[in-house]
Amino acid sequence: MAVMRMGYAHVRVTDMAEAKSHYANTLGLYETLTQDGKVYYKGWDEWDHHSVVLEEGGVGLVKFGWKVEKSEDIDDIERNAQAAGATVQRMSKGENPEIGDGIRFETPSGHLFEVYHEATLIGTEVGTHNPEAFPRHLVGVGVPALDHALILAEDVRGMERFLTQVFDFYPTERVQTDLDDNDAHFIATWMTANNQIHQLAVLEGPPGDSQGKLHHFAFKLGDWTEVGRAGDLFAMDDVPIDIGPTRHGITRGQTIYFFDPSGNRNEVYAGGYPAYRDRPLVKWTPDQIAKGIFYHARELNERFTTVYT
Amino acid sequence: MPTVTIDPTGERVHLDPGETILAGLYKAGYAFTVGCRRGGCAICKVDAVAGTFTYNRPVADNVITDEERADHTCLTCRAVPEGDVTIRLRGETLRLVNPFLAQLNARARQRAEAYAASRAAASPDATPPPAADTTPAERTTKE
Repeated sequence: MAVMRMGYAHVRVTDMAEAKSHYANTLGLYETLTQDGKVYYKGWDEWDHHSVVLEEGGVGLVKFGWKVEKSEDIDDIERNAQAAGATVQRMSKGENPEIGDGIRFETPSGHLFEVYHEATLIGTEVGTHNPEAFPRHLVGVGVPALDHALILAEDVRGMERFLTQVFDFYPTERVQTDLDDNDAHFIATWMTANNQIHQLAVLEGPPGDSQGKLHHFAFKLGDWTEVGRAGDLFAMDDVPIDIGPTRHGITRGQTIYFFDPSGNRNEVYAGGYPAYRDRPLVKWTPDQIAKGIFYHARELNERFTTVYT
Repeated sequence: MPTVTIDPTGERVHLDPGETILAGLYKAGYAFTVGCRRGGCAICKVDAVAGTFTYNRPVADNVITDEERADHTCLTCRAVPEGDVTIRLRGETLRLVNPFLAQLNARARQRAEAYAASRAAASPDATPPPAADTTPAERTTKE
């Protein structure tokens, strides 16, 4: 069983024209399809048909797609999800444009997940034959790819168990009330299936208002310089910045949190050390959570835990 | 040029035409709890106890419910006053974080009020100047 990556993030936007300007002109994603009121995008260094889907009407998350290595992985995950108590539906090729057969289920945290193996191959913008280092005419930030997301859940420990059981994810870092896992209440967990420091993180949200909620989804960048340049472009385009550029103590990544024109939180994220299943889990205690999240300011702003869509 | 008055503390802030309540208050050196500033997170809601406003963008139904569209709920990051408004913050008080910006705003408000008064004095029978008459604000912008 192998989840390779978060293949797509599908979100709602209140105003498609403004959203397109943000995702295409500011972030520099490539539009690959417009169909049935939805717009599909990929980053320059992504090869599958799309990694971001915008749907007009409302705000917040519709669903995430997860791409697995082999088609048999879908069957394994279906069994795992059923064993974990989820109701699993089969989805057919074409239900999502350019995406193959797969399954769909809702997590205990109320998020809709799709799992698939096939997507139409478009290719990266530099190709595979003696490629250049990057496309010469990138637009705006020119994000190469989708990276990860942070979702809310009322029961973080339960979601960690679910993601471990269903996706074979493992935690790389955690915020917990006690260093002894047996006594601890889990406040947040960062999880992955491979060497990427996190593919999905889960943060405790308020009871009654966490189901299906999105904190942010993030795009990959190369280094501090690229994160700083992204910040400059956000100033030029009047993008509201939540925080940054700064570093996360957790994962050591360099970051800017910002909002799209509908209020969905985005992130540009660089760095992060390589994850391994045998690397000892990093634990943060609640008294240091502010440093864990915003390493330089060492203070949580009032928005981090209260603002989500 | 709308004026936003805060109930019950009484601060008065002058807004440029088309400016949202949130943007105007922050530009004038005041702060309160806000989030995405783009209509998605619903954190910046207040009660508009007097005056009317319109939203300058579509607002999602899960951000402002039908009931909230009918009561006094005001999503300040998208709300543009149609005239003077009075708002009441929910569970907090407005914080003055930059007195210098507040002074600049107070002067702009006094200029706008003096201008409106002079127009009214010049033609006592006339109705108040139409919203399209934005000369003082244009001058402020260019400064």
